[in-house]
Amino acid sequence: MVGEILEIVFSPQFFGPVVFPGLVTVLLVLLTIIWVERKIAARVQMRVGPLYVLKPLGGAIQMLADGLRFFFQEFIIPETVDKLPFVAAPVVAMTFAILPFAFIPVAPDFIPYSVPYSMPVFLGLNTVIPLTIIAMAWGSNNKFSIQGGIREAYMTIAYEAALFTAALAMAITYGTLDFAEMVEAQGVPGILVNPLSAAVFFVAMLMSAGKLPFDIVEGEQEIVAGPFTEYSGIAFGLTMGIGYVQLYGFTLAFTLMYLSGWEPLIPFLHDIYPALGGVMLFAKAYLLMVFIVFLRSVYGRYRLDQALRLGWRRLFPLSLLSVFFAVVLRVIGVV
Amino acid sequence: MSRRKVGLREHVEAVATGLKYLVKPNRITVYYPEETIGLGERYRGMIHYDWDKCISCSLCAMICPADAMKMYKKKGEKKARPGINYQRCIFCGYCVDICPTNALSFTNVHDVAYESLEEMVYPPERFVEEWVSPAEKEGAKRLKVVFDEERGLVHVPE
Amino acid sequence: MSSSVMKARLLSREGDESVYEVFIGPQHPASGHMRFIVRLQGDVIVGVDPDIGWVHRTMEKLAETKEALKAIPLFERMTIIDSQNVTIGYVRALEKLLGVEPPPRARYLRTLLSEMNRIASHLYGMGLSGIFVNHSTMFMWCFGDREVWIQLAEELTGARLTHAYSIPGGVRRDLPQGFAEKARKAIRYMRRRLEEYRKIFFDNPQVRARYEGVGVLKSHEARRLGVVGPNLRASGVRYDARLLGDYGVYDELDFVVPTAEEGDAMARLLLRGEEIRQSMRIIEQVLERIPEGPILAEKYLRLIPPKLREPALKEGRIKFPGIFANLKIPEGEAVARAEMGHGEIFYHVVSDGSKKPYRVRVVTPSFRNVVLFRYLPPGHRFMDFPAIYGSLDYFPPESDR
Repeated sequence: MVGEILEIVFSPQFFGPVVFPGLVTVLLVLLTIIWVERKIAARVQMRVGPLYVLKPLGGAIQMLADGLRFFFQEFIIPETVDKLPFVAAPVVAMTFAILPFAFIPVAPDFIPYSVPYSMPVFLGLNTVIPLTIIAMAWGSNNKFSIQGGIREAYMTIAYEAALFTAALAMAITYGTLDFAEMVEAQGVPGILVNPLSAAVFFVAMLMSAGKLPFDIVEGEQEIVAGPFTEYSGIAFGLTMGIGYVQLYGFTLAFTLMYLSGWEPLIPFLHDIYPALGGVMLFAKAYLLMVFIVFLRSVYGRYRLDQALRLGWRRLFPLSLLSVFFAVVLRVIGVV
Repeated sequence: MSRRKVGLREHVEAVATGLKYLVKPNRITVYYPEETIGLGERYRGMIHYDWDKCISCSLCAMICPADAMKMYKKKGEKKARPGINYQRCIFCGYCVDICPTNALSFTNVHDVAYESLEEMVYPPERFVEEWVSPAEKEGAKRLKVVFDEERGLVHVPE
Repeated sequence: MSSSVMKARLLSREGDESVYEVFIGPQHPASGHMRFIVRLQGDVIVGVDPDIGWVHRTMEKLAETKEALKAIPLFERMTIIDSQNVTIGYVRALEKLLGVEPPPRARYLRTLLSEMNRIASHLYGMGLSGIFVNHSTMFMWCFGDREVWIQLAEELTGARLTHAYSIPGGVRRDLPQGFAEKARKAIRYMRRRLEEYRKIFFDNPQVRARYEGVGVLKSHEARRLGVVGPNLRASGVRYDARLLGDYGVYDELDFVVPTAEEGDAMARLLLRGEEIRQSMRIIEQVLERIPEGPILAEKYLRLIPPKLREPALKEGRIKFPGIFANLKIPEGEAVARAEMGHGEIFYHVVSDGSKKPYRVRVVTPSFRNVVLFRYLPPGHRFMDFPAIYGSLDYFPPESDR
């Protein structure tokens, strides 16, 4: 009986989405990456950042204290909101933010759901999140929220095309739509093979996760908190976390496609349990996330029409160019 | 002032400046209350009153802009003595500057905290008390401020 | 631009169905102490209604109920970040009524503190311009670097922000030991920091994209609307109340009043950086050339008994003569202008011969710049509104008095 339960728990189908790199790891990443962001910003900005929650560790579990506070805070549902979208949208958003982790392979033999097209499924599931944010904005029945929802709609249309096309370029380069096969096919990291596609994917990733300089949707200086204005309590905690979960997922995808994934596989960890071989993947993705949250200290926010112009006039043509470049590479026989 | 064009190079410069401070931060935080800044001699902190030097001229009460200084006269006494209300005091120092016998003087204690509004009104008998900074009473380390060309302000132990 | 177009931009329109009103109200992360009723058509602003008065503290009326000298700390609190420049106008008006002139050393010391406050005020404005486009590093750096100048001011006057330094006749404290060396270190530090601000903010392509070409104020419009301060100088009009020669020693010093031609938001920000450089030049010259002498006018200094006066002067401070508690202002009117970090401030003091002034009228620079909120944003996109706000360096408590 216990053996059967353990077998289920340690099977890739369960372990992947729930423990690593899924739900539990997502929560741990949320816990630490926000702290890292605040500490990095504080280091650059002549101050200290959160310190006192666990002082010997430098306040590392500050987000745990914040999260607990969110749990105990009252989730106020104003009378004027449209209740179903208001209450359901953050939950659906977080679900669809965590769901794509079921399609991320962590090691060559540790794939939760082996489908030959995991990359489009991953990106496609992430595309549902802007719809839920628009639902949040509409349900909030608040001028600032509606403005934020409109911005989200515009931004989504701007970056999604470039994101997909850049990923398509890598799919053409490796001849497969599956993450696991892409990592197998990478001798040289993808970022050196097709740097244009990497650059486009990187900027589109920033726009998707709403990180500076593209945090236009929750533009604090104009529309308070955008679609998330009316939320308090645990729902606010959820909405704060969605951007980071999306970022984590996208950095994992970036690492798999461009930074040769889980190579080099650490043999003795891989022998203990296959998922532990994915430590390099996680480390690379985490370092990339640290760099992205560092950009917060350097940049301000772009204007909406400037971001849209960037998405359509620069990123999308560049992504098409990267597809062309990938086709050329395949035809020449380099890859 | 002509304006130069900006492009990718300026992006890299901005990121490099941020990275430089990430690697070598310049923190100016003072970890109060474990540390506290030792304020200079001329700091306009809480006011100290010398009972014996006072000649009850009332100039301090007349010039106080916030009506914080008031003269208290006990029944049967000829002279009135000043008391201060820290709810109103703005630490401008006019009273200290006008006192003709230097009975009022500034201390360099500033971080006194009160638990009720009544405590902030000081009749003359309480006004003579010596001021002690609560942080220093708990054993805070005193730092002093030093100007530095590289880092601006540096706080070093005294 | 023709006057009908200007009128159309200044008048508010009502009742258009396609117009969407957003209240950027006092309860907003980026509105300061004021409210804006922004009318949008799509993403384009068609009208802005600034709603001021939320921080009105009846300072002009309070000045009528207090003796003249007591109003100095009162007026300081209009713009506490710039407290010397706010009060120097009032003190000059009182000096004109009282018929007393400060000695040369006092004038140099007033200039020194004025310029230190100007640097601190411009750093505050630059910090706000950073946070309005969510560039938190510029915000924190500017406020952290203000600490250097505030510490210098604390060494000179005894208080970080609420200096109350100038009084009719002179100043209250003299230079402490070692001040010149500290000031020079601060200046060298600030020069290095201005270079770093340039790298991370002023030349940052993203910040340029937000501020360049936004909120263009042409010079003839600036003159007609009556704006003051760096907003006026960035449009090409060289007007600075320091050049009028009414206070301080600006006519003896060698400095430049910078102007810019473009008149957009970026020009206003860059101009503030230039003015910080010029203020540092002035401070260096003041520290070199300051003459020896008393720091309070002879007319009041001789009223202090010598055994009180000499020890205090040796310590570097003065004692007030007893007459300050009952100072009668002679009958008359006086007018004084001073140049704050935000612009020109104007005082008009009317006295009827008693201890309390009959009327004090203050026209603050932010009050004169409010009209730009109605005039500049129409035609821009909604996200340009914080950019315009950040570039104007508007300070609501000063505007509302």
